[in-house]
Amino acid sequence: MSQVCLISGSPGCGKTNWILNTFKNYSGNCGYLRLGGYSEINLEQAINSKIDFAFLKDQIPNLLDLSISNSISEKDKENILIIIEFPQFFTPKSQGINGVDLRIINELEKYNLQPNRYLHFGRDPELSIKDTLDFREIESISLDLQKHIWDPASLNTFWFELVNGAYGDVYRAKALMNLPDGRYILFNWIVSQQGSQYQTLNQVAPLNGRPERCSEIVIQGKNLNFESIKATIHNCLLNDAVLDHHQTSLRNSQLQTARR
Amino acid sequence: MNQAVISCLHANLPAVEAVLKDIELQGITNITCLGDLVGYGPQPNEVIELIRDKEIPTCQGCWDEDVVDGLDACDCSYPSQLAEKRGHFAHQWTTDKLTTENKDYLANLPYSIRKDKCLFVHGSPNSQHEYLLPDMDAFAALERVENARAEILFCGHTHQPYIRELADGSIAVKIKNAVPKDTQEKEIQLPMRRIVNAGSVGEPRHGGTKATYVVYNDVTNEVKIREVEYDIELTCKAIIDAGLPPIFAWRLKNGFEFAEQAEDASHVCER
Repeated sequence: MSQVCLISGSPGCGKTNWILNTFKNYSGNCGYLRLGGYSEINLEQAINSKIDFAFLKDQIPNLLDLSISNSISEKDKENILIIIEFPQFFTPKSQGINGVDLRIINELEKYNLQPNRYLHFGRDPELSIKDTLDFREIESISLDLQKHIWDPASLNTFWFELVNGAYGDVYRAKALMNLPDGRYILFNWIVSQQGSQYQTLNQVAPLNGRPERCSEIVIQGKNLNFESIKATIHNCLLNDAVLDHHQTSLRNSQLQTARR
Repeated sequence: MNQAVISCLHANLPAVEAVLKDIELQGITNITCLGDLVGYGPQPNEVIELIRDKEIPTCQGCWDEDVVDGLDACDCSYPSQLAEKRGHFAHQWTTDKLTTENKDYLANLPYSIRKDKCLFVHGSPNSQHEYLLPDMDAFAALERVENARAEILFCGHTHQPYIRELADGSIAVKIKNAVPKDTQEKEIQLPMRRIVNAGSVGEPRHGGTKATYVVYNDVTNEVKIREVEYDIELTCKAIIDAGLPPIFAWRLKNGFEFAEQAEDASHVCER
């Protein structure tokens, strides 16, 4: 018997953490799908970020990716908990499954999925509300940073400037970044909460070249200066020669430690 | 008699004008400048010409040196790749804007100025690039002042104003002679030495946005740090109009200074 649960809410409301905890407390198979949501007037919410799946997969290595059609075998389907997440700023008009946007229902048919529960952050008391900003107008931008590796000190400066308004009024920023020592770090920030959250994920990339894993930044806010953000990020990323220098130095350091 | 010490003007004309006005209002005519007239800010020629016209004795700062001599190959103290790229952009922009006459002026500035018991330098007596931070090792701090044969060492470069008193210093020397086999010991008591950092006029790094400088009374030995408000919006507009990165204006306006500084002053670029 499978359970298919649909979760929606505005950016930063705590969807991903709720999903992670729900999966961790479930003993059977777990499957995940993230939908992009739909752009409404002045609400650019349709970015389908890969950050959440990469983060959840890092924490739950057996997590099944439902965006890949052949990822679930018949055996996996037994006793599976499927959670489908999508961003939605406004509260559904009706309770339960009836409140689901028809476009979502149609999209789920492509995946042969039929939800039997629907929960919305800010409406259903079962979900603890971390934050539900009342967004009226929002811009979203995202940058694919796969294979890119940051100069750590530059990343620190860029993130500080970003969340303090140097590139526009940021309401929400979320990113998964590669560092030259192989670390993979999740950055999370929302305007109404104090400080950024940083989490070093379990995956560590080898000190040799550029990792293939997902790396991305998603920024939501108002009057965002996309060109300036892109230019600054470009100045923070390591080129091949500098990366090689860092990685060689780190490899040598590891060798010396191993010899002691 | 009161004298004023200003430092790190960084081509911020409204800040320099406000500080000079504040000095004038106190009736002070003896002013010494510790360099870094240019760098990051939008009015390098105007600031040099103002200081030159007023005949203010000035030391050469690290930016003044680099703009004339070219960037040091890899002696940079940039704390990040991003800071380095921004710094290089500002360097190139400043180099392109400066007139030949003003470059010559910077090139001919002295490394230090001595007035009686006071020595005036940009960074330290050793180098325009060395940071004398307020919490640096006391032995190293005393060594810098003592070797410079000064009672008060005035410096800038860190952009953080401070007054550090090095009291009750002494130097103990012990020598073991081979023939005749004996040991000689001597301890020299040192009078109090002081390091006074003037902060920064054009790029404050004290957590606020006000320009800073110091006033020293050479009779009472009293030193006061002064903070001066200036029209930051004017400087920010000039930054944008000049085609410098808008982030310089944002940082200045928010009290984060134009550029980052390494938390570790001994930081050297590893690239």
